[in-house]
Amino acid sequence: MPTPLIDVDRCKGCELCVFACPERVLEMSPNINAKGYFFPDVARVEDCTGCRYCLLVCPDTAVQVENKGKTTVRTDGLTETPTTYCPGCTHGVIHRLVGEVIAEMGVRQQTVGVAPVGCSVLAYDFFNCDMQQASHGRAMAVATGIKRGRPDLVVFTYQGDGDLASIGMAETVHAANRGEKITVIFVNNAIYGMTGGQMAPTTLPGQIATTCPTGRDVALAGYPIRVVEMLATLRTPAYLARVSVHEPKAIMNAKKAIRKAFKFQIDKTCFSLIEVVSTCPTGWGQQPHEACEWLEEHMLPYFPLGDVKAPEAAH
Amino acid sequence: MAKKLMKGCEAIGEAAIQCGCRLFFGYPITPQNEIPEYMSARMPQVGGVFVQAESEVAASNMLYGAAGAGRRCFTSSSSPGISLMQEGISYLAGAELPVVIVNIMRAGPGLGGILPSQSDYLQATKGGGHGDYRVLVLAPSTVQEAADLTMEAFDLADKYRNPVMILGDGLIGQMMEPVEFKRRIEPEDLPEKPWATTGAVGRGPNIVNSLYLRAEDLEQHNLALGAKYRAMEAEVRHETYRTDDDPDVLIVAYGTVARIARTSIDNLREKGLKVGLFRPVTLFPYPAAALAAAAARAKHVLVAELSMGQMVEDVRAVVAGRVPVDFFGRCGGMVMTAEELAEQAEKLLAVPA
Repeated sequence: MPTPLIDVDRCKGCELCVFACPERVLEMSPNINAKGYFFPDVARVEDCTGCRYCLLVCPDTAVQVENKGKTTVRTDGLTETPTTYCPGCTHGVIHRLVGEVIAEMGVRQQTVGVAPVGCSVLAYDFFNCDMQQASHGRAMAVATGIKRGRPDLVVFTYQGDGDLASIGMAETVHAANRGEKITVIFVNNAIYGMTGGQMAPTTLPGQIATTCPTGRDVALAGYPIRVVEMLATLRTPAYLARVSVHEPKAIMNAKKAIRKAFKFQIDKTCFSLIEVVSTCPTGWGQQPHEACEWLEEHMLPYFPLGDVKAPEAAH
Repeated sequence: MAKKLMKGCEAIGEAAIQCGCRLFFGYPITPQNEIPEYMSARMPQVGGVFVQAESEVAASNMLYGAAGAGRRCFTSSSSPGISLMQEGISYLAGAELPVVIVNIMRAGPGLGGILPSQSDYLQATKGGGHGDYRVLVLAPSTVQEAADLTMEAFDLADKYRNPVMILGDGLIGQMMEPVEFKRRIEPEDLPEKPWATTGAVGRGPNIVNSLYLRAEDLEQHNLALGAKYRAMEAEVRHETYRTDDDPDVLIVAYGTVARIARTSIDNLREKGLKVGLFRPVTLFPYPAAALAAAAARAKHVLVAELSMGQMVEDVRAVVAGRVPVDFFGRCGGMVMTAEELAEQAEKLLAVPA
C-alpha cells in the first residue's frame, strides 16, 4: 500500500501537501515539531494512491513516498541543510527541481552554481555542488567568467526578479545576447522578499507592496517586465521558457523545462533561461495555499506559461 | 627574447599572456583602449578568451567568476571605469580571489578628462570600494617595468589570494619603449588552486563567497584579512636615485613623475645642488621604513604628483613632522615639466631649513 512518509523535523508546517493531496490523506497534527511547526499526519493512509503530489509540492523535502516496496529518496543534488526560506515559499520546490536535474543528469560534480543577492543569497548552503556567491544583479557576469574560464563545467545561476530584472538587467540582456552557454533559473514572485516586500520589476499592476502601498501605479512605475518575451526579441539563439510551481502538474512541467535548459547547455547549444513563476506567501501576506491560488488567478494571465523561444527558432 | 618596441598598454597585455593568463574581460575607455584591442587580437592566437563586457561593473564580476574557477584573469580600465569596478573589487577582496586590475589613470573627478593623472592614488591604496580591504598596488615608471610588474602582479595575486592593481597613467600607457619579456609560463604549469570551484569531484563543494551573516564570523574574516595585508609588507619595494650623499632635498614621486624628477635632479646636480629621488614602486604596501630612513637624512622632502596631493598624505604620516614636507602637483591632465619641478626644489633650498 502506498504511504507518504513525513520527515517531521524538516517540516515547516506550510500545509501545501495537505491541500495538494487529491484523496485528502493528510491532516495537520495538533502537535508541533522541534522547530515549533505543526506538521501533517497521515490520517487516511488507506486512501493513498501513491501519486506523489505531496512530495512534489513540499518546499522542504520533508515528504517521501513508499510504494510497492520502494521508497523515494531525497536527491543528492541538495545538501542535507534545511533551507532558510519561509514556510510555504516555493523557492524550496525550485531548489529541489534543480538539484534533482543536475543529479539525475549525472553532472553534479561538474556543476558550479551562482547564488544571487535576495532570498536565495544562501543557496550555496543548499545546492550540493560548487557554488559562487555573486554581488547583486551580477550572477550572469560571474557565470560568464566561470564558463569562459572552464567551458567543461556546467554553470547555472539562480536569481530572483530584483536581481535579474532590475539591478542586473544589463547583465541579463548581454549574457543572453552573447549566447553564454549557461542555464539561468529565474524566480519570479512579483515582490522583493528578502528586504521585506518592496515592489519588484514584475509586481503586477495594482499589486500592493511596501514601496507601492496603494498598489503598483503603472503611470509611475511602468508595467511589469515580461523577461522571457523581452529576451526572445534578441536574435541570438536561446531556450526561453516560463513555468510555474503552484501545483503538482505545473511542477512536473517545470522540471522538464529545467532539464531541457541544462541539456541545451551540456550540448553546447545555447543560452537558456527558465522563468519560474512562484509564490511569496510572506511578502504577499497570504497562506501558502492561498498564494498558489493567487498566483494562478493573477500572475498566470500576465505571465503565460510555455516555451517562448527554442534555439532552432532563431530568426 | 629580443627587445621589442611597444606601447606601455601593449606591453602590459603581452606580459599577461607570457605569464599564463588566458582570460581578459574589459570595457573600452580612453586612454587604455590599446589593452582590450591588443587582447582581442592576441588571446585567440594563444587559445585564450577575450570578452568585451557590457560594462566595467560586469567586467569586474566576470573576473570574480573566472578567478573563482581557478583561472588567471585580468582587466584594464581607466579612472571612471575603475570606479565602476569597485563593486567587483570589494567582492574579489572579500572572497579572496586573485586577479590583476590595470588602471591607466586619467584626470577627474567625474568624467574629468582623458589626459594623464595620478588622482586615483587614494582610491587605489585605501581600499576603493566598501568595506575594510586593500589591494596590492604596483606603480611602474617605464614600459619595461610595466611588463615586469604585470607578470609579478599575477604571482602576488596568487600568493596572497588578493586583487593586485597596476597603477599607471596615460603617459606610461601610451609611450613606446623597448621591452623584453623575461619569462614565459604556460597556463598548465601554474599551481593548482584547491579552493576553486572546479567541480566537486572527490571532495565536498567549494564555495566562493564574501557573505558572513554572523558578526563573530565576519570579524574573524576581517581580522584574517588584516593579518594578510600586514603580511604583504614583505613585498614593499622602492627605488632611489642619487641619494648616496644624503641629499638636502628628497623628491618623492612615483610612476611618470619619477621619470620627470630624474631629469630635474640631473639638472640640479649640475648646478651643484644635492637633490635625490625616492620612488615607491609598491604604493600599497607603502615602503614606509625605507622612506622614513631616507627622509631623516634630508633637510626637505618634496612630494610631486599629478594630483592635488594624495600620496603626500602617506609621506607626511611616514615623516611624522621630523622634516618639512612640501608638495608640488599639476592636475587636470597637465603634466609638470622637469624645469618646473626643479624650480620647486631649488626654492626649498633658498629657504633656510
